[in-house]
Amino acid sequence: MLAKVIDVELRNIMKKFQNNIVVQNFNLQVEQGEFISFLGPSGCGKTTTLNMIAGFLEPDGGDLFIKGKRMNGVPPYKRELGMVFQTYSLFPHMTVAENIAYGLKLRKVGKAEIQERVQRVLNLVKLPHVADRYPKQLSGGQRQRIAIARALVIEPSLLLLDEPLSNLDAKLREELRDELKRLHQEIGVTTIFVTHDQEEALSLSDRIVVLNHGRVEQIGTPLEIYNHPASEFVHTFIGKTNRMEGEVAEVAGDRVTVVTSAGLRIVAGCQSRNFAPRQKVAVFVRPERITLSTTPPGDVANKVQGRLQISSFLGSYTEAVVQAGGHTLSVKVQMIDQAASLTLGTEVWCQWREEDVLVMPAERDGA
Amino acid sequence: MSKRLAIILLTAPALIVLLGVFIIPMLMMFLLSFQNDQQSFTLENYALFFQDTFYLEILGRTIRVSLWTVLATLVLGYPVAMFMSKATGRMRGIVTMCILAPHLISVVIRNFGWVVVLGESGWINKTLMALGIIDEPLRLLYNELGIVIGLTDAFIAYMVLAIATSLYSIDPSLHKAASILGASRIRTFFSVTLPLSLPGIVAGTTLVFSLSMSSFVTPQLMGGTSVKVIPVLAYEQIMSTLNWPLGSALAFLLLGSTILLVTLYTKLIENKRYKEVFSS
Repeated sequence: MLAKVIDVELRNIMKKFQNNIVVQNFNLQVEQGEFISFLGPSGCGKTTTLNMIAGFLEPDGGDLFIKGKRMNGVPPYKRELGMVFQTYSLFPHMTVAENIAYGLKLRKVGKAEIQERVQRVLNLVKLPHVADRYPKQLSGGQRQRIAIARALVIEPSLLLLDEPLSNLDAKLREELRDELKRLHQEIGVTTIFVTHDQEEALSLSDRIVVLNHGRVEQIGTPLEIYNHPASEFVHTFIGKTNRMEGEVAEVAGDRVTVVTSAGLRIVAGCQSRNFAPRQKVAVFVRPERITLSTTPPGDVANKVQGRLQISSFLGSYTEAVVQAGGHTLSVKVQMIDQAASLTLGTEVWCQWREEDVLVMPAERDGA
Repeated sequence: MSKRLAIILLTAPALIVLLGVFIIPMLMMFLLSFQNDQQSFTLENYALFFQDTFYLEILGRTIRVSLWTVLATLVLGYPVAMFMSKATGRMRGIVTMCILAPHLISVVIRNFGWVVVLGESGWINKTLMALGIIDEPLRLLYNELGIVIGLTDAFIAYMVLAIATSLYSIDPSLHKAASILGASRIRTFFSVTLPLSLPGIVAGTTLVFSLSMSSFVTPQLMGGTSVKVIPVLAYEQIMSTLNWPLGSALAFLLLGSTILLVTLYTKLIENKRYKEVFSS
């Protein structure tokens, strides 16, 4: 196997504004060609870190390497990076072609070559006919494609994307997300993508860095992040979940039985963490892992009877809320399921598999 | 009540005042400028202006002094506007205050202040002479330079505020975009900041030019008796010589030249390369 090439390395990066530490102990190695996302709520330090990689901010501690070169103190215009911003940031007084040619002119590329490369990159983003238009004659989605083209045309060593999809409406956002994926597969440029949208991060990334309060909570592939969250924060940030508190009643290998505060017995299989009896824990089950039925389920460990309280039809699925065993459970019901047409107040059974339960040490007390 | 009627009623008081104290007197002046001693129609007031180089020279000086003032306010004001646009909160307030504070003092008083500073025994000349840089005092007053200094002081605030307004509206991420694409700060300034602030520059230069062309008090005090501009001349014709028709003709020739120059200037700039900047 070939040795991995590290394109970007963050060693113990720290940043503070006045006395507030906004990023700390940030260690990361990004491999060549990798698509990596910084995911977290606003104020988690993801944009600050991106700005440090771009050179708009200087870290207050630690070292930053791009392509093996230490970049601390190097101004942005000498870093050879491509960047796409949330607000498109196209130069309004230049045509699309002039916008894209901007970086090439600064690199003293010849006129004929500029023209050719501009056309090539316009074809790449599937907008070959807009070269002579001004940015404001384009739609939001088109503008962002041009911004991507402008960043790519200089063949950057690294592509930085600062929430590039946030200003677009839902349908366009999905379209451009697929476009980003296609571009990355075609060009293979190492990419760092900042977002607060877990769906974007999950669908695009090779690896995700989950950040909270300036700390790295977890670094892993989308599957690892989703199925084996390192902390309660990661689990709750990535998608909806049901949280119940309780106490460990029994441990048998990787199988843990928990009795919740409301007295519900939940069996969890395949747990990677070790627990001791009587330990305070939090139990999580994702809404899409719960199945509803009107008849009592057969011989399964996790089942509870309840009453259907709310159901919201959301197109491809229905979100139901069930009051069961002293807990309020959120359940995602696929349309094909007959349960989707259940009327409110109906007695229903909820069931879920042992391996769909996640048990974590309780981080906070009380309900 | 219809929207249109509301607009008419709301603007009526201002329109009536404007009509009574501005438009009607202007029309009267305009008619007056075509009269001779016998109060019959004549073009001789205008003919005199174009026949006598004395008047053309003074118009030339008025335009020259105004252009220098525009240049001085632009060059001195742009960095201040940039500083203002980058400053936040408190600092921006302090700078705005510093720019506007001098306007709390009458322009007459400020001009006398300049006379004290720039005079032959003012501190500038005294200091330069004490340092041995010059042997005899520089003439900083009662010439075109004196007028330009006075007008620059009087109008720089308009230039700063006009440019700052256009700088505020530039998305800061455009500077980041230019920088990451490889542009140094200087390059970013000339290729992004400056073109995008053109609307502010055009507004500021037009405003300062028009104000300088029609300025009376400062040229009167800083230019002295021998270095005159058109407004001073028109004033003298009306108040001293009591030649109202010639005074009126001078006033309208001044107005005409200002409108002509400003129109040419804005047309020229807005049709050029950066027309996209002005069209939003």
